[in-house]
Amino acid sequence: MEKAVSTHQLTKRFGDFIATNAITFDVAQGEIFGFLGANGAGKTTAMRMLCGLLKPSSGEATVAGFDVYRQSEKIKQNIGYMSQRFSLYEDLTVRENIRFYGGIYGLHRADIPAKTHQILQKLGIESVGDSLVASLPLGWKQKLAFSVALIHEPKIVFLDEPTGGVDPITRRQFWDLIYEAAHGGTTVFVTTHYMDEAEYCNRVSIMVDGKMQALDTPAGLKTTYDVDSMDAVFQILARGTSAK
Amino acid sequence: MNRIRYMVEKEIQQLRRNPVLLRIMIAAPIMQLILLSYAANYEVKNLNIAVVDGDHTTYSQRLVSKFRYLDNFKMTGYLPGDKQARQALLAGDADLVLVIPPHFERDLEKEGNTSVQLLLNAIDGSKAGIANGYATAIVRDFNSDIIAETKVVTPGVVPQLDIENQYWYNPKLEYKTFMVPGVLFELLLLVGGLVSALNIVREKEIGTMEQLNVTPIRKHEFIIGKSIPFVVIGLVLFTIGLLLGRFLFQVPLVGSVALMYVFAVLFLILCVGLGLLISTLAENQQQALFVSFFLLVLFILLSGLFASTENMPVWAQWLNVINPLKYIIEVGRNVMLKGSTFADVSRQFGALAGMAIGLLLLASWRYRKTV
Repeated sequence: MEKAVSTHQLTKRFGDFIATNAITFDVAQGEIFGFLGANGAGKTTAMRMLCGLLKPSSGEATVAGFDVYRQSEKIKQNIGYMSQRFSLYEDLTVRENIRFYGGIYGLHRADIPAKTHQILQKLGIESVGDSLVASLPLGWKQKLAFSVALIHEPKIVFLDEPTGGVDPITRRQFWDLIYEAAHGGTTVFVTTHYMDEAEYCNRVSIMVDGKMQALDTPAGLKTTYDVDSMDAVFQILARGTSAK
Repeated sequence: MNRIRYMVEKEIQQLRRNPVLLRIMIAAPIMQLILLSYAANYEVKNLNIAVVDGDHTTYSQRLVSKFRYLDNFKMTGYLPGDKQARQALLAGDADLVLVIPPHFERDLEKEGNTSVQLLLNAIDGSKAGIANGYATAIVRDFNSDIIAETKVVTPGVVPQLDIENQYWYNPKLEYKTFMVPGVLFELLLLVGGLVSALNIVREKEIGTMEQLNVTPIRKHEFIIGKSIPFVVIGLVLFTIGLLLGRFLFQVPLVGSVALMYVFAVLFLILCVGLGLLISTLAENQQQALFVSFFLLVLFILLSGLFASTENMPVWAQWLNVINPLKYIIEVGRNVMLKGSTFADVSRQFGALAGMAIGLLLLASWRYRKTV
């Protein structure tokens, strides 16, 4: 099977501090890959290296078959990215944002109106197409940001805590969108703090202090650690305490 | 290429959403043009003059009356002696004191030779210099009147050498004529340099810069896309300023308008390049503002906008070699007032083009799509 992401001993140091310590893993094409860890465990750093936003200190990695050192611009054509910080232009309307990012990702000018219509319809927000993004509720903004990250139909989409701060119903809807994208063949690489979301992933990795401590399916992890929830797995690994 | 269009489109949409900024960007510089051109004025009027007349004769009266009939001087009155004269200067009641010695008339008539004393408050050096100039001219005028009256003038015997001044390019010595071309370009530096730097740093702060950095946008597409809107706004501003200068201030426009625009575009590209460079160095808008402000003040004070650069110390002249504002103000004044052609200002063109390219190269080298 073709690998969407492949890393070997990937490391990032900031001075003496090792943010990401020699992580090695593969992500298969079309997989929903959960990237878990406490705050400061090195998730965002690892993700930024894979997106070409940070140069690794050592190790190897390929994304969509391209090398992170030499082909970062090629990678950028093939990935979508949604950061923790909300990254649409608040002072542009929904349509203008879609148009801008569509244009930047090289969509054909004639295709943009149809794409815009499709996104608005899918999210059920046709009525606010001409409203400023600043006026939308957070949940809508995040679903819109996700759709914009997918506008050029990338092979892989990186989501950095995409559902932070939204209500459970919106989170559920957000995951419906993720499933839909994965079903269409897009690889989803997602970081989260919500353990129920971890259950939705095909495979989950857990990072602790820059190292990757576990990598398996949710069911596999629960069996290995002999607990009945991902929450318990996380407690054992991240806190170093037994859930029992 | 297409991405540049989308960048420009987005910038214009964002500007339209921010009418306050747009209004400030257009209105504030124009206010500044009007205020600076009217207020920053070296013409010295209403100089308070006091007189210590130690002679009280017809001649001394005539000399004093010459001062009375000039706009620039306001007679505050007679003082009894030197001590009071010094007090008047100290208290600020008089800007200058004319001291006419005793036996002024007698010495003039008998010996054909005497002197008067001028005491000046020289805290403001340039004002004192100008006051001295006016006063000396009046005394000289008085002097030649007396010579004409007392000497039997035989043509050819007393050689008369008259200096007649003709002021070229600014015949009425209008201060506004001198200021407007300079202020016009100073404003472009403000909009092109400061506002563009703040604009880009703002994208860093709100996080859209990171989002752009994971897109396949190329460096030059980003830089050109960000530059075009500011160059266009700058040109609008330049046009308004030029029209104001021509019709409100009656500043002559002897040279080619097209040449002025060529330089305006070049200078704006340079300013945006500077703004871009600042934006790559600054993490937030505060830093960007501080760096820009520091550079702007330095450029403006050294540029020759207010004081002639030739009279500055050598080190300042060396600094001015890399002061874009100095070159462009020279161009503005020479083209507008003297009608200089491209050949006359090709040296400035070379310097400005070199700096523009240098700044853009530095900015694109510093601009990283990684953090």
